[in-house]
Amino acid sequence: MPITWVPPFRFGIPGARMKSYLAYVARRSGQLVLVIFIGINLAYVISHASPIDPVEQSISAVTSYGNTAPDAIEQMRSSLRELYGLGGSPIEQYLAFWRRILSADFGPSLSAFPTPVATLIGRALPWTAGLLTASTVIAWGLGNLLGGLAGYYQNNRGLKAMGVIAMGLHPMPYYILALLLLIVFGFLWPVLPITGGAAMNLPQAWTLEFMMSVLQHAILPALSLILVGVGGWFLGMRSLVSNVVTEDYVAYAELAGVRPWRILSFYVMRNALVPQVTGLAMSLGGIFNGAVITEKVFGYPGVGSLLVDAVYAGDYALVLGVTTISILGVSIGVFVIDLLYPLLDPRVKVS
Amino acid sequence: MAAILRDLLRHNAEFRIGVLLVGSVLLLSVLASFSPFPPENVYVVPPDLPPSSTYWFGTTSRGQDVFWQLTFAIRNTLLFGCIVAIISRLLALVIGLLSGYSGGWIDRALMSVNDTFIVMPLLPILVLFYFVMRDRMSWLMLALIMAGLGWAYDARLIRSVAMSLKTREFTQTSLFSGMSTRQILVQEHLPYVMPIVFSSAMNNMVWSIGLEVTLAVLGFTDINRPSIGGMIYWANQHTAMVAGVWWWIAFPTIAVVMTFVGLFLLAISTNQYIDPRSRLGRVGDVT
Amino acid sequence: MTIAPATQAGPSDSARPILTVCDLKAYYRTNHYGIKRDVKAVDGISLTVRRGEIYGLAGESSSGKTTLIKTIAGAIRPPMEVVTGSVEFAFLPGYDGLHRAPPAEVARIRWRRLSCIMQGSMNVLNPVRRIRSSFVDFAYPHIGGDRAQFEQKVVAHLARVRLEASVLDAYPRELSGGMRQRVTLALATICRPEFIIADEPTTALDVVVQKEVLGVIGGLQREIGASVMLVTHDMGVHAYLTNRLGIMYAGRLVEEAATGEIFRNPLHPYTKRLISSLPRIGDDTPRRGLEGAPPNLADPPSGCRFHPRCPLAMEVCRHQVPAMLESAPSHRVACFAVNGDDRA
Repeated sequence: MPITWVPPFRFGIPGARMKSYLAYVARRSGQLVLVIFIGINLAYVISHASPIDPVEQSISAVTSYGNTAPDAIEQMRSSLRELYGLGGSPIEQYLAFWRRILSADFGPSLSAFPTPVATLIGRALPWTAGLLTASTVIAWGLGNLLGGLAGYYQNNRGLKAMGVIAMGLHPMPYYILALLLLIVFGFLWPVLPITGGAAMNLPQAWTLEFMMSVLQHAILPALSLILVGVGGWFLGMRSLVSNVVTEDYVAYAELAGVRPWRILSFYVMRNALVPQVTGLAMSLGGIFNGAVITEKVFGYPGVGSLLVDAVYAGDYALVLGVTTISILGVSIGVFVIDLLYPLLDPRVKVS
Repeated sequence: MAAILRDLLRHNAEFRIGVLLVGSVLLLSVLASFSPFPPENVYVVPPDLPPSSTYWFGTTSRGQDVFWQLTFAIRNTLLFGCIVAIISRLLALVIGLLSGYSGGWIDRALMSVNDTFIVMPLLPILVLFYFVMRDRMSWLMLALIMAGLGWAYDARLIRSVAMSLKTREFTQTSLFSGMSTRQILVQEHLPYVMPIVFSSAMNNMVWSIGLEVTLAVLGFTDINRPSIGGMIYWANQHTAMVAGVWWWIAFPTIAVVMTFVGLFLLAISTNQYIDPRSRLGRVGDVT
Repeated sequence: MTIAPATQAGPSDSARPILTVCDLKAYYRTNHYGIKRDVKAVDGISLTVRRGEIYGLAGESSSGKTTLIKTIAGAIRPPMEVVTGSVEFAFLPGYDGLHRAPPAEVARIRWRRLSCIMQGSMNVLNPVRRIRSSFVDFAYPHIGGDRAQFEQKVVAHLARVRLEASVLDAYPRELSGGMRQRVTLALATICRPEFIIADEPTTALDVVVQKEVLGVIGGLQREIGASVMLVTHDMGVHAYLTNRLGIMYAGRLVEEAATGEIFRNPLHPYTKRLISSLPRIGDDTPRRGLEGAPPNLADPPSGCRFHPRCPLAMEVCRHQVPAMLESAPSHRVACFAVNGDDRA
C-alpha cells in the first residue's frame, strides 16, 4: 500500500452546515422584504398616479343611486379623503399609506360599509388558502409522479397517452377550463354544485355536515385548477427525468444492481424534483391568478371573487386591500418554499 | 432556414399540428379585412340566429355576425400578444444578457429585481390598474404594462445562456482581441440566444393572451374593441348560455384554444429541435 | 452471510476463463429527422480474461473501448444495440450476455460478482444523498446482517483506502476528487467481487493521487484475487498495473499479449507507433506521432481499418479484414503484414 499520508478530515460539522443554511435564510428573507416593498410601492404608485380620483369615483358610485344633499356629499368627500389617506402632501400621503399597511388597517369597505376591509378579507382568505393549497399540492404531486413515471418508462402506452392529454391541457387558460367544467356540470350533468363555498343553509361550524358540504362545493373549482396545473408539471417532470436518467450516478446505480423502484425513487425522482420545487415557487403567482378567475366563475367566496366584485362596486379600499394581501400572501408562500428547498438539495451553499 | 422548416414539418408531428392550428387562426384574422360590417357596430343583423349558411357561426344577441366579429377579435388578440411578446423580448434580452455576462453585483441586483417580478401576482396589479384607469385604459396601454411586467422569466433563461457562453473560449478570445462588451453581446452571443428568444416568445404570447382574455372576460378592458375575451364578456352579459345562444361562446372559445395549443406546440417542437442532444443526431446531414 | 474470497483455486477452475467475449458487435443506431446512422463502435471483438489477472485495454479515444466496457457490463441503452456476439462470465453461464439474462439472476451477480469503477468518478455518487446511502444501496443487499455490523464493515473497508468513518456522513460535493475516487474504489470492492471493470479510473486526477489509486487497485486485487479489466488510454498505467494488454483500434482488437511483451516487442504497426511515441527516460530522439486522423466509425475504412494510416499497407488490407491470429505463443495480432495474407 502506498505510504502517502492523508490528513484526517472531519465532516458533517454541524456548525458549518447550519451556518450555511442560516446565511441562505438571511438572503431569502432579504428577497422577501424586497418583493413586498416593491409590490406595495407598485400598488401605491398605480393607485396614486392615476388621473382619476378614487374618492370622486366612490362618491359618484354612491350618489348615482339617488339624490344626496350637497353638504352630505362634502362630508363624505372629506371623510373619504381622510380614510383613503389622500390629505396632505405626497410625502405625507406615502408615509401615511405605509403606516396603515403596516398596521393592517385598510379602512372600511365602501360596498359593505362600515365593515372594515380587513374583516372582509379575513373571511374570504381561508377559502382561497384552502382551495389553492389543496389544488396546488394535488396538481404538483400527481403531475410530478406521473411525469416521472412517463420519463422513466418511455415506452408505456398509457403514459404516452397521458403525455398527449397533458399537452392539450397545459396551454389551456384557466378561464376556459372553468367555463367548460361549468357547462358540463352545470347544464349537461348537474351532479355537483356550481356556486358557493358551502350549502347556504348550513351554519359555518366544524361539523361533519358542513365539512362535507365544503368539500362538495370545492370539487369543481379545485378540479379546474388541478386540470390546468397538472399538465405543466407532468411535462416538466417528464423532460427532467429523461435527462436525469442519462446521468452518471443513475447509470452507476444500475450497474450496481440497485432495484429499479429504488433507483426511480431515490436517484431519479429525488434529483428531478429539485428544479420542480423551484418551479413551484415561481409559478405561485400564476396559480393565484388562475384561482381569482376560477373563484369568480364558480362563485367561490374567496379573495378572488372579493376582488372582482370590489371592482364592479367601485370599492377602492377593498381593491387595494386585496391587492396588497395577494402580494403578501404569494411572497410568503414563495418564501416558505424557498426555506424548504435546501432540505431537498444539499448543494445549496453560501456563495 | 427553409431547410429547418422542411425538416420540422416532415418529421415533427407537434410542429405540423402547431402550424395547422396557428395557420388557421391567422387565416381568420386576415379575413377581418374583408368583413362587410365594421366591428363596433351593433344590431346590423338579426340577433340570436344559430349557425346557418348565411351566418356561418350564427349571430349574437347584440345583432352581430359571430364569424366576422370573431375575425376582428382574433386579429386584435393576436396583435396584442405579438406586441407584448416583442417588447418583453427586448427587455428580457437586454437584462438577461447584461446580467449573465457582467456577473458580480450588477447580476445580483438585476436578478433580485427580476425575481421580484417573477413572484409578483400580476392579475391583482392589473386589476388595480384597470380600477384606477377605467375607461382610459386602452389596449395599447395594457400591452405596454404587461410587457413591462412580463420579461422576468425569460430574462433568467437568457441570463443562464449568457453565463454559459461567457465561460466559453470564443468569448475570451473576443475579449482579448479588444471587442467591447456591447460588441461581444451583439455579435458573438446573440446568435446562440435567438432560438431561445423565439420559443420563449411563443410561451410569452400564450401567457399574455391568457391574461388579456381573463381581464376581458371580467370586463376589465376596453370592451368596445372586439377581442376574444370581450366576446365572451358580452355573451355572459346577455346570459348566452342560459338563453341557449351557445354559438356565441363556443366559437371564440374554440378559436382561443386553437391559438393556445398551436402556439404551445410550436414552442415545444422548436425547443426540441434546438436541443443539442437531437442536434448531434443531425450532424453530417448531406442532402 | 459472510463473503468468501472469490477464488477457490482448483485446477479446472483456474483454467477456465472468467470472461469470454466472442465476436461481439455493438453499434449506435440513430434515426433523427430521417437521417439513419450506424456508428460501429465495437465491430467483432473476441477475447478472454483469466481468473486473477489484470487485463488492460488500450487505444485512443473513439477506439470503442468504452462501448466495449459498457457492453460487457451490460449497460446497454438505446441508441446502443448489441448486433451479434456473446459475452459470458463464468459465474453466469448459459446466457450470451448480461442483457440477455433474466433480471433476477443479473441482480444477484451485480456488485457481488461483478463491479465497476467508472470514468468520471466525480459524478457517479448521488449528489442529493450522503455517501452512506450509496453503501447501503449497493452493498447491503449482498452483505446483509444487522445495520450496525454492516456499518462497521464499511468503516473497516474505508480504512483500507485511507478514508475516515466521517466520510459516510458527507455529501459527494464535500469531498475532493481523489477522495471520491477512493470512495468509489471502496464501494466497488467491498463485496469482494470476482470481476472488476475499471474505466479510466485515474483520468482527471493529479499524478500523486493517480499513483495512490493504482496502488489501491493493485493491493485490493491481490487481496481478494479478483480479475480486473482496466481500460485507459494512458500507457503508463498499463505498464504499471496490467498483466496482459489488448490494443484496440477503431472498434477492433489489433494486438493482444502479456504487457511486458507488448512494450518490448510490439508486432502490429499501430502498436509499434504507439509504443515508440512514449517518452523514455534517457532517450532524446524526437517522438513521432501517427499521420492522419482516427477513422469515422459511422463510415469506417473497408477491410483493415488501419490501412489508410499504415506504412505496411498492402492491396489485401483494403479488401479483407485481418483475422486475430496467434503469431507467437500467447501473442495475438490481426495484421496481414505480420501473419501473412494466407487466403484459405
